[in-house]
Amino acid sequence: MSDPHDAGKDRPQRWDRRRSLGAGLGGAIVLGVVLLLVVGLTNQTVSTSVVDALEAGKRPSAPAFSLPVLIPGGGVGPVDATVSLGSLAGRPVVLNFWASWCPPCQAEAPILERVWERYRARGVLIMGLDTQDVREDGVRFAHDYETTYPSVRDGSDRVRDAYGLTGLPETYLIDAQGRVALHIAGPITQLEQLTVPLEDLLAEGAGAPPKGRP
Amino acid sequence: MRRALVVVLLALLLLPGAAAALTVNDVAQKVRCPTCNTPLDVSNSPLASRMRAYIGARIERGWSEERIIDGLVAQFGRDVLTTPDTSGFALLAWVIPGIAVVGGLAAMALLARAWARRRPAPVAAPAVSAADFRRVQEELDRLP
Repeated sequence: MSDPHDAGKDRPQRWDRRRSLGAGLGGAIVLGVVLLLVVGLTNQTVSTSVVDALEAGKRPSAPAFSLPVLIPGGGVGPVDATVSLGSLAGRPVVLNFWASWCPPCQAEAPILERVWERYRARGVLIMGLDTQDVREDGVRFAHDYETTYPSVRDGSDRVRDAYGLTGLPETYLIDAQGRVALHIAGPITQLEQLTVPLEDLLAEGAGAPPKGRP
Repeated sequence: MRRALVVVLLALLLLPGAAAALTVNDVAQKVRCPTCNTPLDVSNSPLASRMRAYIGARIERGWSEERIIDGLVAQFGRDVLTTPDTSGFALLAWVIPGIAVVGGLAAMALLARAWARRRPAPVAAPAVSAADFRRVQEELDRLP
């Protein structure tokens, strides 16, 4: 017959194992929550690399994108066809982020249209990028403001984040090599804001940075 | 008379259905505004207002809630939903709170059990000398 006191000997060992298991489980839960926070914060990060590089006097590569065509034009289309920035290489691109509900975007649309009419024959492409907008409102915007330059649509904000947008509208001038040469934060209020850097870009054949500044 | 009663009963049965007609807010609270990340029914952003107009127009056309939400997801992606997806990585958002609650309850139960088992160590009675014992005995005997 075993000694009843012997049964108690296993108790501290069992308790230690249970405590280790509890600590392990608690640690795993804490680690999981921290991991989720890190993933969440990483996904929300808005890139500032393009603007930072421009401020340092460099021409960073324009973040690539493939987006569906919202408004066709200038050889870009048809509607819903996917267009990538890479497919537009070889000519300067004025990439304009806009939304139909944004009053400054409405104000600058006629100026962009005039630039488009003046420079399209010289190989410049004005490319609108409708973001944070209801699709049908975007289409109505192009109709109401009689814009004929093409636009693509970004519903997910990925492109907007990649370019480091802080508001709307914002415009990027991309050279023929696919590098960002100029960033205009806010609306274009004067034709010269675009025509001066575009002339520089066309003259240099994408060499030195354009003189024009927003 | 019986027929009239049946008609009245049927009408009463249909009333809750009529009262539960889809409203803009029913859908809006399930969708968030991409510019401010708050549900459409409480957001005042211009985009939220456009999205509510989109919902209202679809309700007028007789679209179901599911179809309207699918339309918005097609335009803005699954992130536009106020509740996380129930598949893929987003499933963790549903599972982890449950695991945390169950784990917390289990930890509380284990701790409570451990505390209940912990009894104070028996205190040894102080040694009493034979003379003291005898004195106490005598005093007790003297008690009336």
